[in-house]
Amino acid sequence: MDNLILVVILPLLAAFLMPAMARTSEVLARVTGLMVLFISIIIITSVWGSVDEQAVSYAIGGFRPPMGIVFYIDQLSLLFALLIPVMILLFWPWNKVTHIREYSLMMLLTASASGLVLSGDLFNIYVFYELLAVASYGLVVAQGRAGKKGEGAALAASLRYLILGAVGSVMMLIGIAIIYTQAGTLNLAHLALLAPEKLNNMAGLSAFALILIGVGVKAELFPVNTWVPEVYGAVSTRLSALMAGLLSKLAVIVIIRVLVLLFPQPEALQLMTILGMLGVISGELVAWRSRDMIRMLSFSSIGQLGLVFVAFSIPGDMGLMAGFAVALHHLLVKPALFMLASGWTGPLESLKGAAKQSPYIAALFVLLVMSLLGVPPLPGFWAKLLIVVNLASQAAPVYQFALAFVLIATVIEAAYLYRVVMILYHPNQGQQASVREKHKAFELVIASGAAVILIAVALQVQSMETKLSSMARQTGDRQHYINTVFSKLDLADIYHQNKVQQTDFRSNNQLQGSK
Amino acid sequence: MTMPGIEVVFYTGAIGLIVIGMAGVLMVKNVFRMLLALVLLEAGASLLLILSGFRETGVAPILLSGHAAGQLMNDPVPQALVLTAIVIGVGIQALALALILRIKHRYHSLDMGEIREQMEHDIAVNSGVVSPASAQSPEPGGHHHG
Amino acid sequence: MRNISSLLFSGGLAFLLLVLATQLPFGHTSMLLGNDILQAAPDEVGTGNIVAAVLLAYRGIDTLGELAILFTAAASVGLILGQRSNHSAKRDKTITESHFITSRASDLMMPLLIIVGFYIIFYGHLTPGGGFQGGVILAIAFFLPVLTRPGTTIDHGMITIIEGLAGAGFIMIGLWAMLYGKPFLQPFFDTFLGNGIFGSLWSAGTLPLLYLAVGLKVGAELAGLLVTISEAPAAEVERT
Repeated sequence: MDNLILVVILPLLAAFLMPAMARTSEVLARVTGLMVLFISIIIITSVWGSVDEQAVSYAIGGFRPPMGIVFYIDQLSLLFALLIPVMILLFWPWNKVTHIREYSLMMLLTASASGLVLSGDLFNIYVFYELLAVASYGLVVAQGRAGKKGEGAALAASLRYLILGAVGSVMMLIGIAIIYTQAGTLNLAHLALLAPEKLNNMAGLSAFALILIGVGVKAELFPVNTWVPEVYGAVSTRLSALMAGLLSKLAVIVIIRVLVLLFPQPEALQLMTILGMLGVISGELVAWRSRDMIRMLSFSSIGQLGLVFVAFSIPGDMGLMAGFAVALHHLLVKPALFMLASGWTGPLESLKGAAKQSPYIAALFVLLVMSLLGVPPLPGFWAKLLIVVNLASQAAPVYQFALAFVLIATVIEAAYLYRVVMILYHPNQGQQASVREKHKAFELVIASGAAVILIAVALQVQSMETKLSSMARQTGDRQHYINTVFSKLDLADIYHQNKVQQTDFRSNNQLQGSK
Repeated sequence: MTMPGIEVVFYTGAIGLIVIGMAGVLMVKNVFRMLLALVLLEAGASLLLILSGFRETGVAPILLSGHAAGQLMNDPVPQALVLTAIVIGVGIQALALALILRIKHRYHSLDMGEIREQMEHDIAVNSGVVSPASAQSPEPGGHHHG
Repeated sequence: MRNISSLLFSGGLAFLLLVLATQLPFGHTSMLLGNDILQAAPDEVGTGNIVAAVLLAYRGIDTLGELAILFTAAASVGLILGQRSNHSAKRDKTITESHFITSRASDLMMPLLIIVGFYIIFYGHLTPGGGFQGGVILAIAFFLPVLTRPGTTIDHGMITIIEGLAGAGFIMIGLWAMLYGKPFLQPFFDTFLGNGIFGSLWSAGTLPLLYLAVGLKVGAELAGLLVTISEAPAAEVERT
């Protein structure tokens, strides 16, 4: 279990050394990155399942929490720690002309993503979040579409994304400053302990709102998602798939951690519901009007992320479970759809009759889209059912509105996806059918893999449900988190300290002291 | 209620920097000025963060500097955090500057509106929705030699 | 319209922060974490400068992340501006000698800056200063000739190697602790380094070494950033 920190450290080490290594041997530098990813996967699978009952915390530097930084390892963080290297490996830029610095950026992305899900310290999360952000700004430029137009678009999209992201992270920093002023600590477990007393007020709520806006930039949250269509339109589908599939979910995970541990008040949840349902409806409406596949998928991704937020905002473990279900489902389906879309560029009308040309790809597309829509018995249906049932059982009026919004959005989604499927299966060939670029092999492999997993999950819904509900129970258990990070002795200390906290420490001229 | 201390001045300064920076980022058209506003915004947030460990009578948390025993010390944690935040800010600003330089070279403009228009056009051309020669959004400057 | 909504948003933010200001205990915060660290740091870490103890020991992984961010920014800037360096290498690289006073002054300043930079790095765990501040001074020392003699270049390969090795050094020191079965980045090695005497240069375990790594990394990173930005695009912008 102690080796788990290597999942964050080794990619960083590789990233630092790769440019220097490439000066002597290009091949060695390229292989190093892949090696590190495989080692990460091996490390995580070796501890897989060991935190099902009891989560584990790891104090970096061996300092007693809350002074030092801890990593917190439970089912949720372990699952994502495994998904990160796997997905990075799937979307690895194998291209021969790739600059070595781009591999370096991919490694930094891996390290920051793993750190983000493992970390149990508010400011440490901020640092890893920033690292993730800066690495993705760089990757947007590096993986822009080919050609002069593509380069310009990637540069501009990256700058606009950077400015939005930087404003967001300043908001998050202000939120952290408010929390630190109010509570005087940064450790999530310690904050969870103090939250009912210190953060259950207006200051706490505004801190949450600021953090929500800040992290929401990556999570494609409603008012701060203007970068989504620009960036996904400007970069390779490989990177779009990674960003829409994985990185957005990581930001969601951060928000969920903070929400569960620090902000138990219902207002925080309702704020998230409102932003989520605005995201659902706006995303789906614009997707309905879009004229090409990539843009449609980008906006539908905004809508799906809005749905994830609505799901997570339902109070209790059932909300967490619904959220995990729809988030993981989106993580599986959206990258596969992006992979299929990369071969289908151009206006939607030009795709007429594409099903006749490549029936297998069209069938894959229909399967994925049906699951996204929630057609039984595919997994997407169960995820949406969880949301709808739980929303309906809530008394607060905001959830009834959310329910209406979600249902309306589903109808809109069905309308435009049906339109696309009709175009694909149109009996007449489109004009550009002959010049259309072919799907690459790895794109089809990834999409087929996703489809196979979808069907497998559809057959195993029962066991999936037990896993998810166990994960939701562990994630939602604040006391479990606190007890895992602090030993009993520490807890007694902290309770004692809270009572007598006003005795200030005075500097006692250590030089002449015992040393 | 005691007399407001010096921290009120600092706090107002931090809020002022944040608001000026925010208004600048939102309202300025020139991307370089936008970056400068971002610097102000980050400075304000840093000041706010370092104030979270401030004590009116506190001294620097350094044990060897010889100040009298028994003096209150300021919180060392926010000072370390702010150092981290500043370095992160520098990295992001450098990256933004490099992007702005390249964009100026490619689009011949620093105006965010124009940059956005050209970008939208380029994206549309790239995804095949608009043909490259379309006059839907004429490119200012016209020439795009590399 | 956009301006009005922007103003409204900024005003709302100001109002929110002002209202919070009246509620938050500014100036006399509870300092839960701070007091603990002030008490424990001299014994646990052994630095005179407690901020350094927080930076390198208690929150060492933050510092690692921050180094990684600088590295990422430098790598991205290299990708963005460096793409054309091959083409622009062909353009005339005449080193324009600037005025006598500026060029001689920069020659004089360079060794002084290097000494001050290293002093600040090495004494970072005892006095105000440390790897970041010292690293910035080192970067300036190497950037000064580029400023005074436009056209001078810095060996980018050297920078790549220094930044790579310094960053790897920081991590290696952390991993070294793991070899002894201790948690990552634990600052003490009773087996090898000893703890030294509190207040002397050779104290605080591996912290001075970490600060050296940080200083070299920040120096290389910033020098690389400054040189890349000053070098590549200037001529290109002029050309238009």
